[in-house]
Amino acid sequence: MKNFKLFLLTVIVFLPLSLFAQQTVTGKVTEKATGSELPGVGIIIKGTAKGTATDFDGNYILENLKQGDVLVFSYIGFTTLEVTVGAKATINVALDQDTETLDEIVLIGYGTTTIKDATGSVAAITEKDFNEGNIVSPANLITGRVAGVSVTTDGTPGGGSAIRIRGGSSLGASNDPLIVLDGMPLAASSGGSRGILASINPNDIESFSILKDASATAIYGSRASNGVIIISTKKGKSTFKAEYNVKAALSTLSNKIDVFSGDEYRALIADIRPNDVDQLGTANTNWQDEIYQEAISIDQSISLSGQIFKKIPTRFSFGHTQQPGIRKTSKFERISSSLALNPKFFDDHLKVNVNASLNYEFNRFADGVEGAALEFDPTQPVYDADSPFGGFFEHHNNGEPVNGTRNPLASLLQRENKGEVQRFYGNVELDYKLHFFPDLRAVLNIGYDRSEGEGFNQLSDESINGFRLSVGSPFLGSRSEYTSERVNSLLDGYLTYNKELENVNIEVTAGYSYQKFEGVDFNTGNLMDPDRESDINTLADIVLIGLFGRTNVSFMDKYLLTLSYRRDGTSRFSKDNRWGNFPAAALAWKVSEEDFLKDSNTISNLKLRLGWGITGQQDIGPSYLYLGRTVIGSSVSQYIFGNSPINVAIPQTRIEDLKWEETTTYNVGLDYGLFNNKVSGTLEVYLKESNDLLAEVAISDGSNFSNSGFQNIGKFTSKGIEFSIGTDIIDKEDLKLDVNYNMSFNQTKIDELALEQDIRVGGIGGGTGGTVQLHSQGYAPYSFYVYKQLYDVNGSPIEGAYADLNQDGIINDSDRYIYKKRDADINMGFQSNLNYKDFDFSFNLRASIGNYMYNNVNSSRAQYNGLQQAAVLTNVPSSVLETNFYNTSDVIISDIYIENASFLKMDNVTLGYTFNGFNNHDTSSIRLWTGVQNVFTITNYSGLDPEVFGGIDNTTYPRPRTFLVGANIKF
Amino acid sequence: MITKYLNKIYFLLGIIFFFSACTDDLNVLPTDDDEFLSEDFYNNAGSYEQALAGVYGNLSLTGTSGSGSSNIAGIDAGTSQYGRVLWYLQDLAADEALWSYENDPGTKEIQRNIWTPANPIFRGMYGRAMFSVALANDFLRESTDEKLAERGHTSTVGSEIVAYRAEARLLRALSYYHLMDLFGKAAFVTEADPVGTFQAPQYDRAQLFNFIKSELTDIEGDLKAPRTNQYARADKAVAWMILAKIYLNAKVYIGVENDPVDGENYYTKCIDNCNKIFGGGYELASNYLLNFMADNNSNEAGLNEIIFPLVSDGVVTQNYGPTTVIINGEVGSIEKNQDDLGAQGWGGALRVRKQFAEKFIDQGNDDRNTLITAGRDIEVVEIADKDSGYILTKFSNRTSTGAAGSDPTYVDTDFPLFRLADVYLMYAEAIIRRDGVANGDALNYVNDVRDRAHASLISLNDLTLSFLIDERSRELHWEAHRRQDLVRFGLYTGGNYNWAWKGNGSNGIAISNHMAVYPMPSESLAANPNLTQNTGY
Repeated sequence: MKNFKLFLLTVIVFLPLSLFAQQTVTGKVTEKATGSELPGVGIIIKGTAKGTATDFDGNYILENLKQGDVLVFSYIGFTTLEVTVGAKATINVALDQDTETLDEIVLIGYGTTTIKDATGSVAAITEKDFNEGNIVSPANLITGRVAGVSVTTDGTPGGGSAIRIRGGSSLGASNDPLIVLDGMPLAASSGGSRGILASINPNDIESFSILKDASATAIYGSRASNGVIIISTKKGKSTFKAEYNVKAALSTLSNKIDVFSGDEYRALIADIRPNDVDQLGTANTNWQDEIYQEAISIDQSISLSGQIFKKIPTRFSFGHTQQPGIRKTSKFERISSSLALNPKFFDDHLKVNVNASLNYEFNRFADGVEGAALEFDPTQPVYDADSPFGGFFEHHNNGEPVNGTRNPLASLLQRENKGEVQRFYGNVELDYKLHFFPDLRAVLNIGYDRSEGEGFNQLSDESINGFRLSVGSPFLGSRSEYTSERVNSLLDGYLTYNKELENVNIEVTAGYSYQKFEGVDFNTGNLMDPDRESDINTLADIVLIGLFGRTNVSFMDKYLLTLSYRRDGTSRFSKDNRWGNFPAAALAWKVSEEDFLKDSNTISNLKLRLGWGITGQQDIGPSYLYLGRTVIGSSVSQYIFGNSPINVAIPQTRIEDLKWEETTTYNVGLDYGLFNNKVSGTLEVYLKESNDLLAEVAISDGSNFSNSGFQNIGKFTSKGIEFSIGTDIIDKEDLKLDVNYNMSFNQTKIDELALEQDIRVGGIGGGTGGTVQLHSQGYAPYSFYVYKQLYDVNGSPIEGAYADLNQDGIINDSDRYIYKKRDADINMGFQSNLNYKDFDFSFNLRASIGNYMYNNVNSSRAQYNGLQQAAVLTNVPSSVLETNFYNTSDVIISDIYIENASFLKMDNVTLGYTFNGFNNHDTSSIRLWTGVQNVFTITNYSGLDPEVFGGIDNTTYPRPRTFLVGANIKF
Repeated sequence: MITKYLNKIYFLLGIIFFFSACTDDLNVLPTDDDEFLSEDFYNNAGSYEQALAGVYGNLSLTGTSGSGSSNIAGIDAGTSQYGRVLWYLQDLAADEALWSYENDPGTKEIQRNIWTPANPIFRGMYGRAMFSVALANDFLRESTDEKLAERGHTSTVGSEIVAYRAEARLLRALSYYHLMDLFGKAAFVTEADPVGTFQAPQYDRAQLFNFIKSELTDIEGDLKAPRTNQYARADKAVAWMILAKIYLNAKVYIGVENDPVDGENYYTKCIDNCNKIFGGGYELASNYLLNFMADNNSNEAGLNEIIFPLVSDGVVTQNYGPTTVIINGEVGSIEKNQDDLGAQGWGGALRVRKQFAEKFIDQGNDDRNTLITAGRDIEVVEIADKDSGYILTKFSNRTSTGAAGSDPTYVDTDFPLFRLADVYLMYAEAIIRRDGVANGDALNYVNDVRDRAHASLISLNDLTLSFLIDERSRELHWEAHRRQDLVRFGLYTGGNYNWAWKGNGSNGIAISNHMAVYPMPSESLAANPNLTQNTGY
């Protein structure tokens, strides 16, 4: 203390002297959050034009400074910082990322822009905005974060997600958005994998850029109708940085379907099927408890970044995820490694980005035995010492199976279905600013993605479900082995010309893209079957070639114009139809840059955007329907002449005039920021019209080699409104609270189907081949198509009594009507983060309103005739007590099973505490956190979970409730 | 300065050249070992046999990769299996059978006679039969003399191709016969029409009748003599059988009993064709049940009695066809008789209706009576209650020596689409219909059928039309004839004969006359505006 006073005195005495001294200041500029050096940071002496910029390692030198000079450090995407020069010769500065994000760089197709200059509907989600909690699959990083983007993830370990942007725009072609990983559009995953994103470690992802409207997506032409998600992985940095993340999770079953207990069941059978009382057992088995388990999963990842050979910024990461599922035996394990090299050469004229990832997935798949668990007789025990079937209780007659439901636990434990996938993906991007023509950049990107899966599916020879040669002969189990390979290769090249003139900034991009998808599968067939035949299935190559161009013009930094054009060719269509043209245009007006708003304290940002564009869709299952092809039948599909089996030859459906589906999108957007962007967000309105829809519809019988095939058949519109708002409610040094809310309203309608032909879709369980949904003109796709239930005076449903809607006196299929639809009208997301000193707390809420579900669990099971299936007694959901229905077939298509499945879910809540600077290193930190995933669900839906993709709930893999603890350690 | 610009230009030109070089890659060709460009496929002479097997195979197979695959879309694969949907429409829709699992779409409305044009079974039947037409047409297109010569196959397949082509035309006629019988009309497509989305003209019953007649007459010389072709391939007797069938039903199909062209009586024409078949050397098998066993392709019945089968095999021709469905369906909910039938069964899927069972009750000994009645009530009050109603065990997946079939689900038993006993009964019926009374030949044929079953012999006075309709049921039940027979006898629609669940009443109620033909499936109508809906639908 004494020393300090002395020091103060000295300063006060000598300060005036030094004020006039000329001095040199050196220092280093780093990023506050990560500690990495920032090259190219502009440093200007306030009030002068003098300044410098940091070098590649973030270092700078400024000479001839006076004490009292103010240094202004500015860098795109970071908050500008002012520092007054004092006595110290070294001024190290850490810049904070700009939370107002307007300067944040967003990836668009074949280039980048910033939020403030974007003309299309583009949402960027970077690492700091990612969801927290039990994130295993990359798609979950953005669940609920972006208006108009819905992510539905199933409950399986490492499970896949169905992503929809603005509800999709196709009937029969794919509705999946295009996913572009480091410049490479991805395609389907190989056999043995959980999904296309499953092998990617979410910790390696730096940002998502979501292109929603056609003015942004049309540069991807034929694959852009359902939106584009551009994923960028983390890059190498020049400073050393290490990070270690670990989390442990306990997954538990959150909900069960109510069925009769053993005792209740005995009473019920005595009442309803008194003749069958002798078939009852004495046990009380809860079969749902038997098939599920609590599971502990561990996820670890480590990443190192820094400069190697003093030249090459590098990042390396390694991750290991081990996630058993709550359905017994199911498991997901991933080992991921990735390397990013990001050097620059020739005075930064050549930037090289190399990414390489080698990932392994080890999966064990468990059969969906939920149905059997609901149905199996609860009075029977799990095990039976006398059973010839591995000691499991089964319905049999001296070892000869009796028709009926099988023991679900035995079905799980006696099957081993394992898949192992090795996936390598990587890309090399060369970005060369021409020496002789520095306004022009040439970018070449070569990508390669190869998945090789192999696995086997084995059933024990003790299983009652095994293969056998004939009735009465012993069970042999089954085993089949497979391999599967997918290769996706890409070559993109483009030139970008950028010229800044007075008041006008022009950027022109033109390029070429070639992509090829190949695949081959092999399956041995059942090795226990002496007549088996193995088969190699070589998938038809899919080749896509595109030529594209884009112009961005900005005038006075107020008026922005984007024009883009793509010409795309696909191998899916014939020579005459394979090329499609996809233009787009967008205008933006930065209203807040106009004089009348420039100085406004209230409105800090206001930008109006208008966009139009045409995009395409060619992603249908068949690869070359236009060719006349003949397929040879497999070994089990032969015909016998005399005693000789002959491999049949069947000509294949041939449709020569198939072409692109085209979607025209109109989009109006308003980006706003209030109070110095403390409050900001976006409002958008859009209209999408899809024409020449690709859908599989009936073909005039006898004229082709099927009764149905893909045709360009109709029109479809979707329109919607999206709104988002984010605000820092409290922004103090020690206390920060922010909230983000987004809402989207979407409505889709089929305007026209060829020949006004309805298309039945939505296959259901309970009976073979039933459907419950319909595509019909004037209605939303996947509307439910059911009978109108009649009720008695007490409001109880009358079994099998339906309204005779066509009034012909007969209740039959002609009396079905369209009632509700599967897709939500409104989706909402809400997130909030609270930081108090070193504590952080966050949670996510997600809501879906107006989505309906066909409760197939009840419709096919909750009837008293379900107490006997085939020749054995079986259990039914206790909801049968509400309807008292007897006959499944009389009620299965009743509208009583169409339920409102609107919901509000809390996906995640997380609490963390951070210890900073533990290692005498100012950027080191340890954060410890705990959280809960799938916290609660509020819904009126009577089934297990209101969130079932497709709107038909015929048992699902339950989404676990997961309790988490974790640590992030940074050096 | 100029050099500098040239550099730029070369650079740009180089890039453009590089990037536009590979558009030929868009011409992708099949690479899988099971898939060929059709033009390449026929380069191999053996391909004609495979293509013909494809036309035949359509009678049993629904797709090229197992029982779950289907080239008829929009419905479950089994719901378009040729023989199965034919069986649904001829037998399940009549007085002989009940399907317990009514939540299998379409079955409930068929067996209770409350169908609509949207019924998937109609789509399956019409689509499958028209697919036969398309396959036959394609075979005919690819096997012309010019094509053979062009591909250099004239010498290698030249002699066989005559029979091949005749058989393809016969199979096309067979499909049109079924469509004429069931729907009363069909789109008429020939090998001269293009492949694609061609909307063919509609042929009504009379036009189809004439086409079938002229086509079968035309190919008679090219078909092989009876019983000289490979088993399961059609010969002249199959053509005669179809002709005999259309003549016997001519009154139903075209409303007249005499040929408007040559004035000859259609029953006489039917009798003539029956006689031609008799001349082919067929014989009744010694045991009735041999016709319905796992080895009915090779036992006595297969060799001598079955005129045309639909093939099924547990290993190489797996399908959810009529025999697989019937035999698995015969396994009862109470009896658990899978071991007897050699199939694992589906726990009571099929039962018989009361009126069918009564045709055997108090009729004395009869091998054809395979009913199981113990512990069961003859009435079916609730169709979903699988313990009520009698069950049947006529078809079996065990061989004549008692061996189980080669697979517990997919049976080895072929479906006897046409067999000699039917011809005997048709002959007797045609005699009575033409002459008003039976004769000695007719009586002998009927008694041959009964004698083989160890049933009591009848006298000439007993042999009446009303006896024959019941006798046909006793002999031919569950063989896809019943609805056609009842329509011909005027018993199907209206209220003269009501069976359990007819018209959706447990005791049976009258149904409207328009239901003697089925409605055209709605999807087929929509896809081909030339087709019109049948009256009453």
